[in-house]
Amino acid sequence: MRLLPSLVLLLVLCGALTGCTASTDSADTIRIRWPSDPETLDPLLVSSPQALEVINLLHCSLLTSNPEQLQIVPWLVESLPKISRHDSLTRLTYQLRAEATWDNGQPVLARDVAFTLRVMHCPGLPTEFARAQYGFVQEIELDSADSRRFTLICSSASPDIVLASGDYSILPEYSLDPLGTLRAVPLALLRTDTAEAVRRHPALRAFAARYRQAQLSRHPDRLPGCGPYRLKSWESNRYMVLERKAGWWANRLPKPPPWLQARPEKLAYQIIPDNTTALLALRRGSLDLYPMPTARDFTAMRASADTARLAFYTADSYDMLVVGFNTQRPMLRTAATRRALSLLFNIPDLMQATHQGLAYRSVSLINPHDRLAYQDSLPNLIFSPVEARRQLQLAGWQLRPAGGWWNGKIGPLALRISYHAGATEHETVALQFQAAAARIGVEVQLRPAEAGLLQQQLATGDTDMFIRKTSGNPFAYNFMPLLHTRGIGLINYSRFSQPAADELIEAITAEPSPERHARLLKRFQVLLRRESPLVVLYFTRNRLITTRRVTSVRTLSVRPGYDVLSLQLASAKP
Amino acid sequence: MAGRFFSQLGQTLLISWGIITLLFLLTRTLPNEQDLLARFASSSVPLAASAQQLQVAQAQARHRLGLDIPLFYLTQADVSEAPLAPRWRWTGTQNQYHRWLSKLLQGDTGQSYRTGEPVGELLRGSLYHTVSLTLLSAALLAGLSLPLGIWLAVSGRRLALATLFALDTLPLFVVALLLLLFLASPDMLALFPAYGLGTDAVSFRSAPINYLSYLVLPVASLVLTGITAPAVQLAGALQVEIKKEYVLAARAKGLSAAEALRRHALRNALLPSITLLTDLLPNLLAGSLVVELIFALPGFGRLLAEAAAARDFPVLLAGVGLVVVVRQISLWLAEALYLLADPRLRNRPA
Repeated sequence: MRLLPSLVLLLVLCGALTGCTASTDSADTIRIRWPSDPETLDPLLVSSPQALEVINLLHCSLLTSNPEQLQIVPWLVESLPKISRHDSLTRLTYQLRAEATWDNGQPVLARDVAFTLRVMHCPGLPTEFARAQYGFVQEIELDSADSRRFTLICSSASPDIVLASGDYSILPEYSLDPLGTLRAVPLALLRTDTAEAVRRHPALRAFAARYRQAQLSRHPDRLPGCGPYRLKSWESNRYMVLERKAGWWANRLPKPPPWLQARPEKLAYQIIPDNTTALLALRRGSLDLYPMPTARDFTAMRASADTARLAFYTADSYDMLVVGFNTQRPMLRTAATRRALSLLFNIPDLMQATHQGLAYRSVSLINPHDRLAYQDSLPNLIFSPVEARRQLQLAGWQLRPAGGWWNGKIGPLALRISYHAGATEHETVALQFQAAAARIGVEVQLRPAEAGLLQQQLATGDTDMFIRKTSGNPFAYNFMPLLHTRGIGLINYSRFSQPAADELIEAITAEPSPERHARLLKRFQVLLRRESPLVVLYFTRNRLITTRRVTSVRTLSVRPGYDVLSLQLASAKP
Repeated sequence: MAGRFFSQLGQTLLISWGIITLLFLLTRTLPNEQDLLARFASSSVPLAASAQQLQVAQAQARHRLGLDIPLFYLTQADVSEAPLAPRWRWTGTQNQYHRWLSKLLQGDTGQSYRTGEPVGELLRGSLYHTVSLTLLSAALLAGLSLPLGIWLAVSGRRLALATLFALDTLPLFVVALLLLLFLASPDMLALFPAYGLGTDAVSFRSAPINYLSYLVLPVASLVLTGITAPAVQLAGALQVEIKKEYVLAARAKGLSAAEALRRHALRNALLPSITLLTDLLPNLLAGSLVVELIFALPGFGRLLAEAAAARDFPVLLAGVGLVVVVRQISLWLAEALYLLADPRLRNRPA
């Protein structure tokens, strides 16, 4: 037992030593918290938000978004594409920037874009997502006179394909296929008949084997990108360090726009799964930036004594919490029933309870900040069990003396509400709805489910009502997967199907004129309110805490919630 | 003796195989085919793919992962078309289980669904940190519980006993968070690092003190929550042994109380502790999950938890399989140690 004090002393010494050495390498580094590892950094397989954030620093795509004005802007290309239409095909002609080069100084050429599209469709690679997402690009035509000019021939006439046609990272042909073995393979053949493509071009098989062997998912250093940063180190589930390239091509631009300027010297992403630990690290100065703390933590910290050392930011996001009705359930088939049940959500109180007020209301799926398209003549939903009871009666439901609602042809009104188990926000909403429904005699059963199970229930329609988080898109409105008949079994979880709505959704997708597009969107919002397959409870606000060491913080409404390229350290500021 | 050894080894292998097979079949009954759709649903990029393209992509992904062939040798047949047909159909060796087991027997545990990395490499990488954490904790637990048990038996301190029982009632995550808030917080004592293993390539070889300092709080959490059982158990066993006549005889021969305890009573009292100590490693492995999540350590527990959440079945199966094997070996080891420690058991018929 006498050993114990000596042991404790030794441990304390260890701790003291660490305390002295911990921050030596952080002088020029901005340390950012991540809750989980990015898992894979292959640009064509990337799926997690963390991976997406890094891919956009290591690689460039043709287009990007102006995070402040929420516009699509050219990145690797000189300007937005020239659009021309021939029958049902759309031709998008791009011109790559003359300054854009790879790390070895070779220019980024149209053949790199063609190579990227071929890799996406190369058989034997796990690129199913990319194949489906960019499958609308039927062919690429390279300009024989200008190696930086090319035309994408797309099968869709939707204006939304402009962004989709240019939002994938461009891969270097010189590094992955130095002999150009894929050049001879027509993209159209790869897309339509993989077996025939492999038979005619055996090089595809060898390329796929080489690509898989390179394990780019875990070794992104083997894939040079034309983005502003290079990977310095990556320890899985611990940290990832990125270093700014000294000779990045965009530095040569005379007046580079903000998305072509990279300010931080080094970025160290620290992977800390637990929120308490991450907050402690931030307060101790072991972290500089903590994106998306829980609303509770954010509010508590803002009210604490740490405000002298910490700065707090919010930005209205496009993430929303939505409640959906399974419109194919007999009891929920009539819009009047769905409208009545929508009145049982106490939205202001829910915003306060789940987000401490860090949320804002909307009458529909359109963000109120989109002034042109937002249907502001629609009133906000009110919380009124009395009115809900009246509307249920009007919808043909009768309150039985023994309790519960009954509709002669349909039967009882008894609902099950599904949500992600463990998501406290969803649980709060479900509980509030259950309590409000109980007040007017509607029986509601809570049905929390594990993520995969919930996904299956939603896709197969095994739900009455569901609560889920949805991310809106500031650049395009595509309701085809969400509310069109063809989306049933895929992402149309409310199984909403109405010819008028389908027509309107198709018209919105195809409309090129912004004014007419906005008018169609307003009509669609009115239809949505009338039919109520979904109820938007609220949009949330992005939250961000930084130490005062970090300056020039620009919060964004899109993920990851901040503009990492603009960040600066107080000591490094000129 | 040799027969007994091989019989037990056979039993161990059979049980391990049974558990892993059951786990394989259970995991494959879970819904996982919606992964690709889930990814489309959560994508903030406007969806350009049509429903048909999505279904084709889904089928391609299932084919690539080998999920489009029957699960097992016997598959439930669709009886809707032929009501009199047998309910179960023999699928031959072209099934997921056969393919997986054949590869496993060749030492191929497959590739992670998430990262495409070989599972063996992933497990090795994560075990590197977890083994240091658990072995250090196990050594400390074994080393501290022995003197603590003796001290408790001799002194019979009730306060110490109550403190140990109080510690035992606290869940591991509470102890870990309390240690963090007391010893790594700017409000109290910021003595130890709050998370991870540092940003440099810190390893035990390159910077042992630095590396150990990151392990202090995680190890302390495991030791504090695990020490009560072996220490109190040993103290209780010692108190029983002390009252026995052979200890009295030893004292009568002139040994001091401490010597009689150390030389005679301790060996007998240690017998039940063998079970506890051999159980220690699997328990610590389970505890490492909580500790790794709270202290942001990369390790085996975290790998398994993330694999389970993401339905990364190859990683999950290999990880759980490893735990099952370690557990079975530890049970087998406990039995062997018992036989060594107690000659009476060796003469008992099997």
